[in-house]
Amino acid sequence: MKIEVKKNILARNDTAAAENRERLSHQGVCMINLMASPGAGKTSVIMKAIESLSDRYAMAVIEGDIASEIDSLAIEAMNIPALQINTGGSCHLTASMISSALDHLDLDSLDLVIVENVGNLVCPAEFDLGETGRVMIASITEGHDKPHKYPTIFKEVDAILVNKIDLLPYCDFDMASFHQVVEGLNPDGAVIELSCKDGYGTDDWCGWIETAITEIKTRLSS
Amino acid sequence: MHEYAITESILEIVQTEAVEAGARRVDEVKVVIGELSSFAESSIEFYFEELSRGTVAEGACLVFEKLEANAECCACGSGFRPRNAFYSCPACGSRLFELKRGKELYIDSIEVE
Repeated sequence: MKIEVKKNILARNDTAAAENRERLSHQGVCMINLMASPGAGKTSVIMKAIESLSDRYAMAVIEGDIASEIDSLAIEAMNIPALQINTGGSCHLTASMISSALDHLDLDSLDLVIVENVGNLVCPAEFDLGETGRVMIASITEGHDKPHKYPTIFKEVDAILVNKIDLLPYCDFDMASFHQVVEGLNPDGAVIELSCKDGYGTDDWCGWIETAITEIKTRLSS
Repeated sequence: MHEYAITESILEIVQTEAVEAGARRVDEVKVVIGELSSFAESSIEFYFEELSRGTVAEGACLVFEKLEANAECCACGSGFRPRNAFYSCPACGSRLFELKRGKELYIDSIEVE
């Protein structure tokens, strides 16, 4: 006997993501899903945002890792609420994991939640978390060819941070080629060069976040 | 590796449908995948064999149907089939296009006994 099913396999995640997005929009909270390879500088980039923005905006961080609390402890040391999700082997965060994490945050008093996804350039791009903005990091040490190899994530983010720009003189990273390929994949995406080591470009990164926060607040009030 | 989570969802949907229909066994699961989706069929098959053990879907054959991609150019409005993420409109060369089809992932039907 044949049964017509016609059901989206990602439906459960998509439904949970839509609920998260609705909840955040309703509260006027900006949530950034930050994705990158292991070691690209996700936690450092978040810490730079905390240094620059936490005096003006109420922030919280959700840390996704397969194991350990190293990242959430580093964020808590900066007096910012941090929730650690240990996926226990899973290569990405899901919308329902974020939903449970949001239950533990006081959304009424928050302006910004940054989600640090599990270090991976493939799987996180496929799972909508209900974020209001998607950001990825490509670091200089990874090489300029990564947009060729992982086009989906480069195509689907709102901003690409090129981190560890201070290491440019020591690496064979072809910046012109990188920009050209990224522009072709994602003409609307912002590309921000920065260094968490010396602070270069962190104003641009934080400016991008502020614009994202303002957009959410404006949408709420209109 | 994200196919593990996908396969769990496939199995959940298949089990629910099979139980509702009072089926003893699932023979076939037809999965439709858009040609630009980044899910590997061989990985889904591998996980399905492992995860379905001891369930009503054990031994079921997975049949994949590829769905051709289709896009509409944001600049000139012409329709075309983008073959990958680097594609541009063959009519005007614009890289801005709206994907109408090609990233689907759904269960079309199941065959049960």
